[in-house]
Amino acid sequence: MRWRPSPNSGLKALSLGLWGVVLVQSGASGRLDLLLRAVFHPLVWISGGLLLVLAVLELGSGNEAPLPPRQRLGLFAGCLAALAVLLLPPEPSFAELAANRSQDFQPGPGLNFVVPPGQRSLTEWVRLLRSEPDPKLHQGDPVKISGFVLPVPGDRPQLARLLVRCCLVDAVPVGLPVLWPPDQPTPEADQWLAIEGVMENETVAGQNRSVVRARQVRPIPRPQRPLEP
Amino acid sequence: MGLQRLATTWALFQALLVEAMPFLLIGVAIATLARWVSPGGRWVRKLPSQPLLGPLSGAALGFALPACECGNVPVARRLLASGAPLGAALGFLFAAPVLNPIVLASTWAAFPNKPWLLLARPLGAVVVAVALATLLGQRSEALLLTPELLEERRLSQPLSQVSLLDRRSGLIGSQPPAPLPADVPVRRQPLAEVLGHGSAEFLGLALLLVFGCLVAALVQTVLPRSWLLAVGGAPTLSILSLMLLSLVVSVCSSVDAFLALGFAAQVTPGALLAFLLLGPVIDLKLIGLFGVLLRPRAILLTAAGAGLVVLLIGQWANLILL
Repeated sequence: MRWRPSPNSGLKALSLGLWGVVLVQSGASGRLDLLLRAVFHPLVWISGGLLLVLAVLELGSGNEAPLPPRQRLGLFAGCLAALAVLLLPPEPSFAELAANRSQDFQPGPGLNFVVPPGQRSLTEWVRLLRSEPDPKLHQGDPVKISGFVLPVPGDRPQLARLLVRCCLVDAVPVGLPVLWPPDQPTPEADQWLAIEGVMENETVAGQNRSVVRARQVRPIPRPQRPLEP
Repeated sequence: MGLQRLATTWALFQALLVEAMPFLLIGVAIATLARWVSPGGRWVRKLPSQPLLGPLSGAALGFALPACECGNVPVARRLLASGAPLGAALGFLFAAPVLNPIVLASTWAAFPNKPWLLLARPLGAVVVAVALATLLGQRSEALLLTPELLEERRLSQPLSQVSLLDRRSGLIGSQPPAPLPADVPVRRQPLAEVLGHGSAEFLGLALLLVFGCLVAALVQTVLPRSWLLAVGGAPTLSILSLMLLSLVVSVCSSVDAFLALGFAAQVTPGALLAFLLLGPVIDLKLIGLFGVLLRPRAILLTAAGAGLVVLLIGQWANLILL
């Protein structure tokens, strides 16, 4: 006798399986790197695996009990939602997201900056400038950073990164002002760039600030893990 | 809405969903395990039902069943369906997202230089839970709980505890039937059956979570966060704006302290406390999930009551600390 799942348990198993695939595929395809901090990734993988196991168990249960129409409709809607998440990958505009957030990032206590200037990441530079804001201290230091272009109203575009504590929802932008090479067009928002240059001073609205004078600007693809802790 | 903004909203939605779904699964797993281990749920009916002790005992359950606010909805539902006193179940629902070891540890890790917060957050959560349980307890269960949950709850309650109107059967003036003796064994359901129930519960809640995450992502994209933080120094406005932010951001209580760390220096202490108290009780992502427990009016009452109590706590914190 051939085994056939009942339509109800089939729909339930499909729904469970699709959500499982959504979670597992998010991890396998690298989507999670764009959405969540790495520390939460194992939780997503394990949950996805568990949902797939539950889907298999449901298929094997042969549950014949009829489902109320409302529950069947809910399962169907759940399948559609899972399919939409599966088929439409997240493609956020970091510049759009950052424009909606303030850059009032507060460095946590106990941070040390022992990395030489040329090896500091953009985030490390921002942390340093928040704790040691005197621009004279950093004048002439070599800078080698990468990030996305963040337009700033009334100012030149900055090079920025997103800091994330948990997921993309709590992302906080941090950026550095840049003196872009005059012989090159102003970079477009969201473009990922690697910059080599030096730290200089400039006075804006009567206040001295550190600014990166870019000597070499190179377009790069978005990093695999674009969010920073 | 431009295409870029739409794409960003979609990514925010996915981030919220992927982050919350494992916690929802943990909550459903705890509820399913409780159903299997203690089929009749007798122990939950022994929880105190007094106005103060009930919510306090429910709140204390948070230490035993650590789940964030998404995960504790299925657990609270199981408590209510098993016939737990209303106050205890509501105390668990509203306080457990803060009163659990993971959340307290993350609060300590984020604010080691603010020891007052480690005391004020759990204390505030208990006050909010007791106040909400008392407020909601003024309404009859029939007006408070969803019809499906009420039906399930009635199966676990002795008829003597249910009014004639709620029972919808019986004779006026007759004595209610005596409750079943406590030592009658309750058959443990087969594991496959319990797993089936758990799966169905997860799928129902997942759909509501999708809806909540979608609303939260949409509102976040439309409402600039910098507006909410612009009134940081004003005592009352800062509390109100941070309360609104906690509703909108909808992150889990286990990580909200780290998010708050980013703007803690710009806002008043009362506003910071209000952010950490209100989000675990209610936010946009939870509104759909609450629909499996409470009727719409009860959800509105919860939101209004929680808002008022948290505002008062925030004001007191500002009075003491500013």
